[in-house]
Amino acid sequence: MTQLANLFRMAAQLPIFMSCVALFFLMVMTFCDVILRSTINAPIEAATELTRMSMAILVFSVMPVMSFQGGHINVDLLDGLFDRFHLNRWRDVVISLLCGGMLYWPASRVIVLAERARSYGDTTEYLNWPVFYVSWFIAILTFLTMGALILRGLVLIFAPQMLEPAK
Amino acid sequence: MTESLIGFGAVLVLVLLRMPIAFAMGLVGMVGFMLETSFRGSISMVARLMIDASQDYGLSVVPLFILMGLFVNKGGISRELYQVSNAFLGHFRGGLAMATIVACGGFAAISGSSLATAATMSKVAMPEMRKYGYADSLSTASIAAGGTLGILIPPSVILVIYGLLTETSIGKLFIAGIIPGFLGIVFYLIAVKYSVTRNPEAGPAGPRSTREQRIQALLGVWAVLLLFFLVIGGLYGILNFWPINLAFSPTEAAGMGAAGAFLIALFRGSLSFKDTFEVLRETSITTASLFSVLIGAWIFSNFVNVAGLPEALRGAVTAYDVPPWVVMALIIAIYIVLGCIFESLSMLLLTVPIFFPLVAGEGGLGFDPIWFGIIVVVVTEISLITPPVGLNVFVLKGVVGDVSTGTVFKGVTPFWVMDILRLALLLAIPALALYLPSHMSG
Repeated sequence: MTQLANLFRMAAQLPIFMSCVALFFLMVMTFCDVILRSTINAPIEAATELTRMSMAILVFSVMPVMSFQGGHINVDLLDGLFDRFHLNRWRDVVISLLCGGMLYWPASRVIVLAERARSYGDTTEYLNWPVFYVSWFIAILTFLTMGALILRGLVLIFAPQMLEPAK
Repeated sequence: MTESLIGFGAVLVLVLLRMPIAFAMGLVGMVGFMLETSFRGSISMVARLMIDASQDYGLSVVPLFILMGLFVNKGGISRELYQVSNAFLGHFRGGLAMATIVACGGFAAISGSSLATAATMSKVAMPEMRKYGYADSLSTASIAAGGTLGILIPPSVILVIYGLLTETSIGKLFIAGIIPGFLGIVFYLIAVKYSVTRNPEAGPAGPRSTREQRIQALLGVWAVLLLFFLVIGGLYGILNFWPINLAFSPTEAAGMGAAGAFLIALFRGSLSFKDTFEVLRETSITTASLFSVLIGAWIFSNFVNVAGLPEALRGAVTAYDVPPWVVMALIIAIYIVLGCIFESLSMLLLTVPIFFPLVAGEGGLGFDPIWFGIIVVVVTEISLITPPVGLNVFVLKGVVGDVSTGTVFKGVTPFWVMDILRLALLLAIPALALYLPSHMSG
């Protein structure tokens, strides 16, 4: 069980690393684009589409890990009240399962839209990369986020100590 | 209109049940849109938004500005900003609190977030003020209030989102924030002065710094001052040194700022590979959480639009002949109440799509969109320190620990009053926000 948890933790680092690389690339590319344009009038022509792709990788890569760790912005005004009735854990179970479940339909629809883009042969303007790659990426990561949220709900039911911060 | 109001109520209930704000707005928006149109239409709208919002070129400014703030912070600049303000102001009565306000203003110039400004400055300024025997009420209040400057003084993540939501120039919004932000610093300094005049024990004077100490302190922050000048100068289009013309779009300014901050931290030797990875990781996670709120809010706003709320509001204002200032006063009151529940970005995302068409959109009340943006941000700032649940106060309590929220709110009252005065001034004299952007190229 511990080995499985360790394996899970290591696997979770990969999308975070991808996101960090995309962000660093975005920063360096924007810097180079401005310098090249301002000094020798030679901007990076594909900068806009590379920016778009980097953004999709940056945003969706960390979503599953962040969701599993409960990193979304929320309001804890009524925590005291739930705490009094020992309902915090069960409230979080319901919320996690509901949030995970509701992602199924949009994620499935993103696949339909991606396949539609593939059938039309849509490509990016300068690099001619098929646009459905990014849509597929978004769909897969949304499914993983869905899985992460449902897993969080199950962990909260059966092994809540796993989600407690290390002391 | 009824459907929209039920939708608002449902979002509020879900948020209070601690559903993440992004999911609460997304779920209600999706179900509402489905009831107004069809299941397939609703799911397609959500899927399309997920694809488009995450690849929006304009939104790339968000992670880059967050990255810039975090790199500068890693370079240890928050402490140096405080030291330089302290060198010039510390010998006055209440001087350390004044230095905190100025340092918060300086930190705000490189960070786009109020909560981050308050959290960072509390670690730096609080121990110093305690060392000199400052009253907890004054020291915590100056940090909580100073922290609110983060979302007005450019670069501001909130202004970027407002600009994208309303198709208003982000560069002009940034420039429009400068005078109101500076005014905020001056007004807060007056609030400190008032507090120590009423209770001189609250903020005793510190030792006066020598000229050498002041020069030394200034030398510590020159690189960041240069970075701020580069970012804002490039946005304003004044960095034209033939043959090099550095004129930036907001995304480019953010990229230059982030790269510049990275280089500063690297040359100072305060950035290891591990630190870099940590900063990138933190930025990615913050960006993802902001984007999920953004996508959720867009879904909800599509539902509200399809349900016809903006038109219904416009119709009601016309039918009852409500004077524009009454509408504005009502909107401000709503923001202050909502600020008790939502953090600033969620509040803005939830309300701007509804109020903007009424106030500054086509056929609306005819207010200037840039001015309205600044007003919205100033009101959001006020809500961050308004009792009973100003968020900055709670962030501060989380960091400092042994101070009651009552003490912070007591100390914050003069700052809150000055905020209301500044808001009144901005409402009466729109030129305070609009003068600089009107002289901007492009």
